[in-house]
Amino acid sequence: MEITITLRGALKKYLDGDNERKVIVPNGCTCDEALKVIGLDHKKVARFGFVAVNGMKVMINDRLKEGDELKAYPRISGG
Amino acid sequence: MTMTGYQNKVLRIDLSAGKHKTEPLNMEFAAKYVGSKGLAIRYMYEELKPGVDALGIENKLFFTTGPLTGTPVACSGKLSIAAKSPATGTMNDCSIGGHAGIRIKYAGYDMIIFEGKLEKPGYIVIEDDKVKFMDADDLWGKGSHEAESILTKKYGTDYSVLSIGPAGENLSPMACINSDYYRQAGRGGIGAVMGSKNMKAVIVRGTGGVKVPDIEKATDRIIELLQKDVLQEDNTFVYDSGTTAFLEACNDGGILPYKNFSDTTDPDWKEYNDGVLMEHRKGKRGCGSCGLGCGNFLQIGKAVCEGPEYESISVAGPNAGIKDPEHIVKFNQVADDLGLDTISAGDTIIWAMEMTERGIHDFGIRFGEADKMISMLEMMAKKEGIGADLADGVKKASEKFGGTDFAMQVKGLEYPQYEPRGSWGMSMAYAVSDRGACHMRSYAPNEEVFAASIPPYTAEGKGQMVYNLGEFNAVKFSLCVCDFWGTITYEIMAELLTIVTGREWKPEEMAEVGRRVLNIGRAFNQREGFARKDDTMPERLAKDPLKSGPAAGQTIPREAFDDMLDQYYKVMGWDENGCLPDELIETL
Repeated sequence: MEITITLRGALKKYLDGDNERKVIVPNGCTCDEALKVIGLDHKKVARFGFVAVNGMKVMINDRLKEGDELKAYPRISGG
Repeated sequence: MTMTGYQNKVLRIDLSAGKHKTEPLNMEFAAKYVGSKGLAIRYMYEELKPGVDALGIENKLFFTTGPLTGTPVACSGKLSIAAKSPATGTMNDCSIGGHAGIRIKYAGYDMIIFEGKLEKPGYIVIEDDKVKFMDADDLWGKGSHEAESILTKKYGTDYSVLSIGPAGENLSPMACINSDYYRQAGRGGIGAVMGSKNMKAVIVRGTGGVKVPDIEKATDRIIELLQKDVLQEDNTFVYDSGTTAFLEACNDGGILPYKNFSDTTDPDWKEYNDGVLMEHRKGKRGCGSCGLGCGNFLQIGKAVCEGPEYESISVAGPNAGIKDPEHIVKFNQVADDLGLDTISAGDTIIWAMEMTERGIHDFGIRFGEADKMISMLEMMAKKEGIGADLADGVKKASEKFGGTDFAMQVKGLEYPQYEPRGSWGMSMAYAVSDRGACHMRSYAPNEEVFAASIPPYTAEGKGQMVYNLGEFNAVKFSLCVCDFWGTITYEIMAELLTIVTGREWKPEEMAEVGRRVLNIGRAFNQREGFARKDDTMPERLAKDPLKSGPAAGQTIPREAFDDMLDQYYKVMGWDENGCLPDELIETL
């Protein structure tokens, strides 16, 4: 299935500096599995933040459906 | 005891007598509290009599640097300004960026204490060991930006100006102190304390330096840390877009408040997000010694500001039901010039909007009315018309007109822009913050939302979490290190202090300093009569479930809030009423 992966902040390097990219991922895969398709293993990113699907924060193991926008944030600090 | 890094000197200015003197810095305090935030609070505890009127002649203003200030250590150029707060009656310390802290240090002082009151409006000029008392007849009544511009033209750009606007002159409890035009000591009415002393501005220039034991070794290591730790991608996002980037993260995370915290998230957030705002960027700026440069100068139409920071975007945007980026920049610009804290002024206006919408009291302003929101700022700063009813903040206004359930404040300080129902720990961070609702004491979303390391909708473990976050920030800000050096650790802090002061500091001592700073702030407030009864959250959070976003359906049950408070007091070693035992106070 096709989804859009959007990366913020320092994570953009996994899309060669781009903000977003349409990606083919296995049907019904999890956010975690989808990010691995572009080479982003969140467990190996020390300051990984959180993921959101269609503008809503979800858990990293939540499943995706066709057309979803998966967004990943690095950890941010300050205020 | 002496340590390098410090100037070992305090400048004490008696405004009533028109005199000044210097005295040694209390090095026992410095060893226990390091500098800036912690040192200022310890001095306040020592010097301010219990029950002192915050706007009276006996309150004092403490401008405090740290041992790292004025060295090349990255992100160390800020200044702490502290006094008893007229907004809350608690202690209050603010951190202000720019260059004033470094110039105070180069003038030869760790701290400047302003006592008494000028007989008539004036300003103070400090140049190394010279102190002049100047007449401010031509400045009084002017906006902070114009006042700074006049003083900069008169004295030159190698002076830093710290000034107040009309809000400070009119003793507004939401008045701030400005420097470098768009940097503020923003919260708790610190500008009103300056106004109560008839002090329109302080300007300072220093020609000295800061001694360290081994300049070559220190410089090498400081540069290495700058390159390897500060200038890494986890920190440099602030150069790209500053705190404007928080808007999207808070929206997706379910903690972006909407229409006076009646809900979260805004489906139209893209209309005023960081990408939109940065299209209007005209320039960049950082504080003295900064390696990151978070400041963005924007111009949209005729509106200009440095920022806007996330807090101002939220309160003038979605929380006011407004989606116009030009309005947000204008709100920021006008509030800064008037010398008003955007958070407190904004929160008070959006509360008034809800009061009008719900028919409880007609303040003549509703959600979405951008022009009226700007006009209201001026009326509040000058205490004119409806503005006079709102000028003392949302706590006092709600006590008079009703609507206390949705008056978003703790101890009289208005809520920052993080919705606690999406981050339960934030409700307690606001509640136990020593100066009232502040997001800079314990930044709970860092764990509960942005890192997703701790579940947000539970009380479990939140006492320890809020303590850990608070301890870390208390010591970080006592070193006067900017929040945006997000990767700094206790190991780095201890190493920097060792390099600069010549005394060996251990990482575990950093934790001890942090705990001590939290305790001395609480001890000050305890002496003023504050206790558990004052560690509160607005009723809205317990009563009204969120309707939108990932936290939809969430409230914070009262029993959960009480549980979190119990946990926090236990971690701090306080009794069930939130009070420090005598034996703990004696160690401070």
